[in-house]
Amino acid sequence: MTSRTITLANRGGATYSVDARRPLLDTLREQGVDLPYGCKYGGCITCAARLTDGQIDQRRQVALNNRQIANGYIILCVARPLTDCTLEIGVDSHGKLYRNPFADPLEPHELKADIATPKEA
Amino acid sequence: MECCGPGYASPAEAMKAPREKLLYTIAIYTGTGIQKPDYLCTIDADPESPTYSQVIHRLEMPGIGDELHHMGWNACSSCHDDASMSRRYLIVPGVRSSNLHIVDTIDPRAPQLHKVVEGAEIKARTDLSAPHTVHCLGSEIIISMLGDAKGEAPGGYLHLDKDFNIVGRWERSMGDIPFGYDFWYQPRHNVMASSEWAAPNTFMPGFDLEEVGHLKYGRRIHLWDFEKREPKQTFYLGEDGLIPLEVRFHHDPDSTHGFCGAALSANIIHWWKDGAGDWQWEKIIDVENEPHPEWPIPVPGVISVILISMDDRFLYFCNWLHGDIRQYNIEDPHNPVLTGQVWMGGLLDRAPEVNGVRVTGGPQMIQLSLDGKRLYVTTSLFSTWDNQFYPEIRTNGGCMLMVNCDTETGGMEIDPGFVVDFGKEPNGPSRCHETRYPGGDCTSDIWV
Repeated sequence: MTSRTITLANRGGATYSVDARRPLLDTLREQGVDLPYGCKYGGCITCAARLTDGQIDQRRQVALNNRQIANGYIILCVARPLTDCTLEIGVDSHGKLYRNPFADPLEPHELKADIATPKEA
Repeated sequence: MECCGPGYASPAEAMKAPREKLLYTIAIYTGTGIQKPDYLCTIDADPESPTYSQVIHRLEMPGIGDELHHMGWNACSSCHDDASMSRRYLIVPGVRSSNLHIVDTIDPRAPQLHKVVEGAEIKARTDLSAPHTVHCLGSEIIISMLGDAKGEAPGGYLHLDKDFNIVGRWERSMGDIPFGYDFWYQPRHNVMASSEWAAPNTFMPGFDLEEVGHLKYGRRIHLWDFEKREPKQTFYLGEDGLIPLEVRFHHDPDSTHGFCGAALSANIIHWWKDGAGDWQWEKIIDVENEPHPEWPIPVPGVISVILISMDDRFLYFCNWLHGDIRQYNIEDPHNPVLTGQVWMGGLLDRAPEVNGVRVTGGPQMIQLSLDGKRLYVTTSLFSTWDNQFYPEIRTNGGCMLMVNCDTETGGMEIDPGFVVDFGKEPNGPSRCHETRYPGGDCTSDIWV
């Protein structure tokens, strides 16, 4: 098994060794990390966390728009660590996840991947 | 007719039922940061009781993250003549988990979990997810499912037998329907109406306004051939019908009149069968957007729910972002007359505090007593959408209020003696959503 070390910045820097091939939601919960979740297939955002260091593969997620991704959000139920990672977890990491959609609209390049248009130079 | 099945022989009989003394209300922790299951509350609604206006029982679901939302009975007046049936089991779906919780109310004050139909099994056997509206159908049950197993639209309809076994897909075809949401059927006219929210993968993460323009949200109402189980006609509502949600036919089973609230357009849509036998539709109410000091554009009402009194005389709806509940006399369904309005919460700051409780969120789900005199209101819409529009709900929780309704000439008034503050729940602030009563209510029963 290829292992990665996951550091939880907002849980006192606690570290966990996880299987690189499995979703972080599963591998962290199995080690006792209390995480929110909902759909468990990458569609609903409830398990979102913020990646502050490292790289992950979350190609199966369909919940995040490009602004949320730019702000570092990842969907733990489908995210697999490509490197060692540092995360902020739980709703205390959700400060930039939610925004009033009328008061703070998205630019065309900030929409979800399937409808976003490239940012003009 | 002597009869011993569930419900009532007619809407008029339902109106004579004893007053509701218990309410069942959904409360959620999904999306709140509190790592506890969502739960079903029993609320004491008997003014003679010492625990009136309090939560007297909490039934926790087995796991976290379901997002309980709407619910429905195993049986209603549609099998009033079937003595083998009783209104005993409440089907309580989780939108995010797709789990169906079957709750036994044989002890009405303390419902217990009977069984769980697992979301994974539903997905595997029917390729459906995200359960929403539950209607009993004679002795069987159908549930609108808003997505396929991957959360893409249009989903379809899950068919359960009376013992909650999965029969399969109810519909023969979804035709060209792009999205599902709510539905209601009127069997004497062989018709079902359904509305459109969005794919679960679109609405579950929250609301991006731009996705409306990209046609990710609905703008149609569909009429079905109920017996053939396939759509037969679509009303394209366009800009007048953006995000059409709750669908209600008249309770009178002989009527063809039905209504739907278009949430984002903040319009009420009315349809009926004309003298030539053709189905027609029109917009009958248009709620004006309201200016807001901090918004670049005026605030739409966002009609999150509609409801019709059991005598079909009054239409109620909530403007979740404005913060008002309205009552219209619809005795002439083409020409509704505004007869009552009350304010609670909302973004326009008209009534930030009611009965000593700071109202976070706006009026959202409503349930009316069978006699039409008491309207129970809760304030949470959907966890992610709450978090966008009313982020303080995370610490304040939701609340339930009661509105006294004048059924003679019309009029509404918030009852000063009833408030349930979900900000003070034992495990921390939760959010309350749909309400039902043990004996049936104004959105649970259909007459065949």
